[in-house]
Amino acid sequence: MQKIPLMLAEAGMILAREVYRNDSPSGMPICGKDTVLTDALIVRLDHLDVKTVYVEGHPVWADGDRSLDDMLLDLDRRFEKVRHDPLTSKLFDIYEEFLKRSMGDACGQKAE
Amino acid sequence: MDKKRNDLKKIIMDTKTLPTLPGVIYKLNSMPENNKSSVQEMARIVSSDQVFSARILRLANSPSYGFYRVSTISNAMILLGVNVVKSLAFSSSIFEIMEKNSVGLWEHSMGVGVAANLIARRLALPECEEISTAALLHDIGKVIVSLKCSEAEAQIRRTIDDQHVYMWEAEREIIDTDHAEIGGWLAKSWFLPDKLSEPIACHHNVAQSENHRIKTAVVHIADVLIKASGFGNSGDCYVPQIQKIAWDVLKLNDRILTEVVEELEDKLVEVKNFSLELQGPDAPAS
Repeated sequence: MQKIPLMLAEAGMILAREVYRNDSPSGMPICGKDTVLTDALIVRLDHLDVKTVYVEGHPVWADGDRSLDDMLLDLDRRFEKVRHDPLTSKLFDIYEEFLKRSMGDACGQKAE
Repeated sequence: MDKKRNDLKKIIMDTKTLPTLPGVIYKLNSMPENNKSSVQEMARIVSSDQVFSARILRLANSPSYGFYRVSTISNAMILLGVNVVKSLAFSSSIFEIMEKNSVGLWEHSMGVGVAANLIARRLALPECEEISTAALLHDIGKVIVSLKCSEAEAQIRRTIDDQHVYMWEAEREIIDTDHAEIGGWLAKSWFLPDKLSEPIACHHNVAQSENHRIKTAVVHIADVLIKASGFGNSGDCYVPQIQKIAWDVLKLNDRILTEVVEELEDKLVEVKNFSLELQGPDAPAS
């Protein structure tokens, strides 16, 4: 499952969560889980001012075609100067863990 | 060395050559502060320039503040406060330039605004909106460096590439000051309050901040988080060290940091969305 900006949503993607108005989880959903997006539906969601949607899989943007290993390598590079620092390396660990977890269920195998 | 810095300060602060500010700004600055009637009056003055108020509202509706429905200037004044609206008014032309010339820096600034807002809310700090604003503006000095000293900027970039140093280190070496200090000067020249100018000026050196250390610490940590996340492009390829003084003054711990990172990564999708919307439908995805 991936949260994506509505602008990057495309016909054929499948909603992984219900869509609520104004992204607020209270009130009636305006579009159900498992709905297959169509161009018309995307336009309607846009008119309702929906900003983001959750879709199945990990279909969108640069991270999508980069493997977890690449992303971890980048992370390593960014933290190159501060790995010795106990506080900043905590942040490294948190991000490493976050990437592994979010890329782990990237293919939508892990149901929510 | 001091002379070089002072000369540079003069060049940079020469208001005649700063990105043009609409006439309403001068009217705003001549208004008395902390006067109830002045809020309405200010809203009226700003609203009289439609293009200008549209720019301010666009920033006020950015994910940095977490509202999405600020539709009028007087609304923004009530929700965000006079200081924030004033800062957005002053910085709107700089953001305009950022949007055109350096989307990466723009995204970085928005990201740091969001991160600071999350940290401030998570820690229940007062004046969240002001903290977000300082965070949003923390790198305005970089825009000024590239506008006013484009040759030096190229040199700074080369130094960063060759010597693998942080941007502020390269700036100190070449222009004898750095973007944080320049941003502070600029904020002061706009008569923004210290609670905004100090976090901008000290975000790379929290210890230097005397009166608004908590706000400065939030902006510093937010900057580190966004660089750690790799979101946007600040011009720095390395994550700076979390300064212990910032960690201590905010009483951070592993749990808070983990929660903030989780929430931040979720929010950054919205920032990306906001950025894509501004760039128009034909913009590339990354």
